[in-house]
Amino acid sequence: MEEPVRQTFWNVPHWAEIAQYAGGGLAVIIFLYGLWRHIKRWKSGRSEKLEGTFGHRLTLLVKYGLFQGRLSNDAQSLLMHLFIFWGMAVLALATAIATVDWDVAHLLFDYQFLKGNFYLVYELGADLFGLFLVIGLCIAVIRRYIQRPEKLATENPPTFKIDSGALLLMLLGIAITGFIVEALRLASMKPDWAEWAFIGYALSGLFGAMSIDSIEASHFVFWSAHAVLSFVFIAAIPYSKAFHMVSSAVSVYTGNNIPPGRVSEDNEEGVVGITDFTWRQLIQFDGCTWCGRCQDVCPAHAAGWRLSPKNVVLKLNAESGRSAGSSKPENKSDNGGTPEGLGDVVSAEELWGCTTCAACENECPVFIQQPRALIDMRRHLVIEGELGDTLGEVLMKITRYGNSFGQSDRARSKWTQGLDFKLKDARKEAVEYLWFVGDYASYDARVQEVSRAVARLFHAAGLDFGILNESEKGTGNDIRRVGEEGLFDMLREKNLKALSKAKYKKIVTTDPHTYNALKNDYARDMDGVEVVHYTEVLEQLVSERKLEPSRPLNAKVTFHDPCYLGRYNGVYASPRKVLRALGAEVAEMPRTREHSFCCGAGGGRIWMEDSPDTKERPADSRIREAAAVSGVQVLAVACPKDLVMFQDAAKTTGFEDKIAVKDIAQLFLETLNQEVKDEQ
Amino acid sequence: MNIIVLMKMVPDVVEPLEIAEDGKNLDKEAIRMMASESSEHALEQALILKDSVGAEVTVAAIEAPELDDALFSASAKGAVRVIKITPEQDGLRADISASVLKEFIKQECGSPGSDTLIFTGSQAIDDLQGELGPTLAEQLGLPFIGVVTSIKPVEGEEGKVTAIKEYSGGLRGEYEVALPAVVGIQAAEQPSRYVPFAKIRAAMKSGSIESTEITPEVEGRGVEIARMYVPEVTGRAEMIEGDPETVAARLIEIFKQNGILG
Repeated sequence: MEEPVRQTFWNVPHWAEIAQYAGGGLAVIIFLYGLWRHIKRWKSGRSEKLEGTFGHRLTLLVKYGLFQGRLSNDAQSLLMHLFIFWGMAVLALATAIATVDWDVAHLLFDYQFLKGNFYLVYELGADLFGLFLVIGLCIAVIRRYIQRPEKLATENPPTFKIDSGALLLMLLGIAITGFIVEALRLASMKPDWAEWAFIGYALSGLFGAMSIDSIEASHFVFWSAHAVLSFVFIAAIPYSKAFHMVSSAVSVYTGNNIPPGRVSEDNEEGVVGITDFTWRQLIQFDGCTWCGRCQDVCPAHAAGWRLSPKNVVLKLNAESGRSAGSSKPENKSDNGGTPEGLGDVVSAEELWGCTTCAACENECPVFIQQPRALIDMRRHLVIEGELGDTLGEVLMKITRYGNSFGQSDRARSKWTQGLDFKLKDARKEAVEYLWFVGDYASYDARVQEVSRAVARLFHAAGLDFGILNESEKGTGNDIRRVGEEGLFDMLREKNLKALSKAKYKKIVTTDPHTYNALKNDYARDMDGVEVVHYTEVLEQLVSERKLEPSRPLNAKVTFHDPCYLGRYNGVYASPRKVLRALGAEVAEMPRTREHSFCCGAGGGRIWMEDSPDTKERPADSRIREAAAVSGVQVLAVACPKDLVMFQDAAKTTGFEDKIAVKDIAQLFLETLNQEVKDEQ
Repeated sequence: MNIIVLMKMVPDVVEPLEIAEDGKNLDKEAIRMMASESSEHALEQALILKDSVGAEVTVAAIEAPELDDALFSASAKGAVRVIKITPEQDGLRADISASVLKEFIKQECGSPGSDTLIFTGSQAIDDLQGELGPTLAEQLGLPFIGVVTSIKPVEGEEGKVTAIKEYSGGLRGEYEVALPAVVGIQAAEQPSRYVPFAKIRAAMKSGSIESTEITPEVEGRGVEIARMYVPEVTGRAEMIEGDPETVAARLIEIFKQNGILG
């Protein structure tokens, strides 16, 4: 058998070979020009420090870039995307190898490495990955044009409207012409190793009846088409959605892989014009793949409100492109100019729809921080006073009284009056656990009951704990996410002052929102004090046998992961362990743990009116989901806002008789001996 | 247009009210003070005019605890000048307050011109009769209109405004008012705007509160407070608890006791 060897440019006249290099060069120049424009656009953003090490980023890039790790919960799209990406990657590599083999090794050194067994494996591999590419593209076509999930519809394409369709066609064209070229070559040359290129070989049978002349003529036509399509594709990359190959990779690389929900630290005034976002944020917008996974999990979108995180990102990216493309001198707000506002790009209604639940950010395959961008824009609305009446009223109350209920701050610990023991005042005596109670747990009548339950549990376990009484103010977790950074700062200062005067070892909170603020937003001023959620303390008390449930619940319970406890801070195990220790059977809802579905209260939404065209309120949707879990009697919660939202939702949806909404502390109290319960 | 908003500080009833030892006043140490709600509306209405037709808004108030916060907030919202009138006053005599404010207006504008509007709150929780506005107008010799919910300049006529006054039973009256005039604002055309805390803080930093001293001249005898006290409990509501049948049984019992049922 003659040694198999690659004959790149077989049947290609010399002028065409030169033309190919010229075309390729032109494509690369067009590509580079487009790339440069994107980079220029990114650089127009504000500065932001990159966190994390190079090694860590590289790991991110491999796991989430090359292997698209975030798609792992959607097998179809993972497979589709891996096939297309790796198909194209391997074929591009194969083309590069063939070119080097022919026009470097062979031309300059009269040596070829694409020969023998290596070449056979090369042919096999190229055909295999070409097949993957075609399969991937077929899945994509089926998804986009037959299944047509809502999330793939794109209202505001930042590039051209038929982008996705055009790209799919182009790639299919490249793959098919590639196979035909190979088949024609094999049909003419008839090498005895032809089976290795199994697809080209199978197709070559189709041309068996043709004369060598017409095979060669057709080959040249298809070869030219293949080359032209490939170059058009390369040139089109920076001007189409295909650019996400670059921008998504950069977005993943610059993504800090921190828990979702981080807000901008040093931009109190918020974002006025597009270039007030940081360069990292502009890269994120540019990195959007239009996949719509964020929109699919967004409670605001599900409720039928105007917000879709995907559309916001795409609109911002389009705006970023427009602003970079305009010949007007750059005018950033911080150097005196008046940038064009984003009011026409993203409406106030969209911005106020966000619950900051961070489901979108958690779902995004390319690490876009949607809530952060929305909060940046909200900050500007707050400065401009463009907030609804109800929100403005609540913020005024918080400014004056330090709580969103507009009640006297002196009444903050009034809820303790129903207890037959006195809580320690952590301002006056040292305690191990400082209990930061939070607004809802202090002032809402329904939640006060839960607070008393927690106090009884802690007391029964002999926990050394105390509260700050009226020195505690709302932590401002949601004030910050509403975009009222100045008020948040004021609350933080007051609380830090109160904390600095108290003596304690750890902080325990009943409210996940409070927990998040203290743990993350206050972190740099907290000297590394440990902040724990009461379910974590209960778990510990149970494991130390300081609290022993004596009358097991014997109920089937499902647990709602609060956004600010789960997604934001990764606490999933403790509440479930406690529930199990109580003798409950814990059944999971379909949307659980990091895929938990927000109750709709976060990010200040609890202080705003729902839009009149609401299809289904997030809390209603969630209670339906809980009630649909077979045999579940109780929806257990571990967040004061959840208790309020879901108890209301149970009433309005008529599920009140079917499912009880209870806090874990209340359930716990039910399992204890009568003495503890009656201790009132 | 030149608008002077005279704000009034009142006890914050969200906080528990305590009576001072003399039994004739509130315990100033124990209570908090805040701008009266209708004062806030007066300021808002002035700011609405500022935004719509252009007006210079000056805010002034007689010294009281926490007045600075209210003035800084007004300044952050867009008042060009904020002025504190010292000293603090005791008692609840609107006529004395009015005479101090009259002196203040004279000091500020001599005799107010035809581009000047003086806003007060229509009422306050410690001035339910709304005496302050009319008394001040009388002392200044200016026209007064109260319980106003909307005000705008008459187009094409300098020195005139149209004011809408609310009557009970859903009636509204439209008045043409020649300036200068004193107007008691009941409610602004829209709820008070929210001013971001960063702006209040900026106003605090610039420390722009002006201060002027006007000693009240107490003339004549006003109404004196004989005793101030927390209302005595005269009757208690009974909460009926239990399942619907128990509740129904108890209701029937009560109806029978009261002769509603035989």
